[in-house]
Amino acid sequence: MPPYRRNRIIIIVIIILCITVVTLYVRESDTGPLHKIQNFFLDLVSPVSNLFSKIFRPVKDGIVNLFHLPSLSKEKRELQKEVESLRRGAAESKELEAEVEELKRLLRWSEENAQLETVGADIVGQSPSNWRRLMIVNKGSSSGVKKYMSVVTEEGLVGRIISVGSRSSVVQLITDSRSGVGARDLRNRETGIVEGRNEETMRFVPMNEEAVMQVGDVAVTSGLGGTCPPGIAIGRVVEVKKRSEGLARLVEVRPFVRFSRLDNVLIIITPEPESVILKEAQ
Amino acid sequence: MSRRRWIFLACTVLLAFILQIAVMPQFKLFGVQPDLILVVAVVVAVLEGPVEGAIVGFCGGMLEDIVSPQVMGVGAFSKTVAAFLAGVLKEVFMTYSILLPVLLVFIVTILELSVNQLTLMMLGQEGLPPFNVVGLVLPAALYNVLAVLVVYPVMRRFRFIQKEESLILAKPGGG
Repeated sequence: MPPYRRNRIIIIVIIILCITVVTLYVRESDTGPLHKIQNFFLDLVSPVSNLFSKIFRPVKDGIVNLFHLPSLSKEKRELQKEVESLRRGAAESKELEAEVEELKRLLRWSEENAQLETVGADIVGQSPSNWRRLMIVNKGSSSGVKKYMSVVTEEGLVGRIISVGSRSSVVQLITDSRSGVGARDLRNRETGIVEGRNEETMRFVPMNEEAVMQVGDVAVTSGLGGTCPPGIAIGRVVEVKKRSEGLARLVEVRPFVRFSRLDNVLIIITPEPESVILKEAQ
Repeated sequence: MSRRRWIFLACTVLLAFILQIAVMPQFKLFGVQPDLILVVAVVVAVLEGPVEGAIVGFCGGMLEDIVSPQVMGVGAFSKTVAAFLAGVLKEVFMTYSILLPVLLVFIVTILELSVNQLTLMMLGQEGLPPFNVVGLVLPAALYNVLAVLVVYPVMRRFRFIQKEESLILAKPGGG
């Protein structure tokens, strides 16, 4: 067979394969074979990803610091404080102590919110895609995790579960551009939606366009969406940009959670998201 | 292409895939990371030809799709198209200068992200992120350019080593 003809056949076969896989994937349910394969490999890859994450943490921190030189002096002061507090500790390693501290904070938060049943999870990976702000945690359906459950830390809301494997789950961060969380401004009680933008800040869209939004306002979950319990801190308004006539204002909200430093999170198991309860009832 | 060469390419795809899922997320800057699988597919398309590039793009993309929480097959499709186009463009320019893969990677990164988004849009995926050129597409393209500056010389060197070995083996009494 002439090479040009063989090449043409190869390309056609590849394109047909792609279209077939995409079609099958989109048409099947979340429990279909392709989704199962994906969840299986996600479970398989999570520990490897976690291992590399730990190995490369110092290198990553070094690179990130290069880009944050202007804020280093402030960070240095914070770090000095942290070092001082760590020195008070005994012979335990610094990393272990920080982890224990974080777990204690999570436990404290869990005790303060006793009406919410939670399960602790470690961050074991991040999305390989540039289009999404996702994280992978090491708890899945075997720990009672279900789709749309909220993920929090003591600082505030992290995101929600969008995919569940048996031993791992995918968390959609609140900064992901597909994320929208029902929110309430604590100062004026106005409700709205906090939308992610794939950036460091999010956008607060109040239901009432005339609502007076001010820099410094704190946004918490309203519980109106049905997936997230009310009263969980989301972030603080850092800028209110007035736009030309006809366009909505841009109310920027900076999340309380520092996603780059997350190691452990809590997944809210009960109350279950209403959408899950409704689906199960059907 | 010889069987040895295909084995070499398979190992390269596998290595790129492992680095992509395990190492590259650690080097995310401002929400962007290099797409090593795309870079390798483009380099293969430049060194070997558009069909070989497309095969590498398809295999790498499919592997990535399987372990990512996204629509399976879309990444494989966009990388296949991007690598094939890079190979076709290379045949037009006919040069082994490093500037060519740099330029091609920059162009096909933008193309690949566009094909990816368009496909998802056609599939009716709700709430797609806005096509953020300044904040995402251009930084991703520039990050991939940085990656190709490392990947291209290494893969080109391996290619010549293999060619030299096969020439020695082909000579009578060459071993």
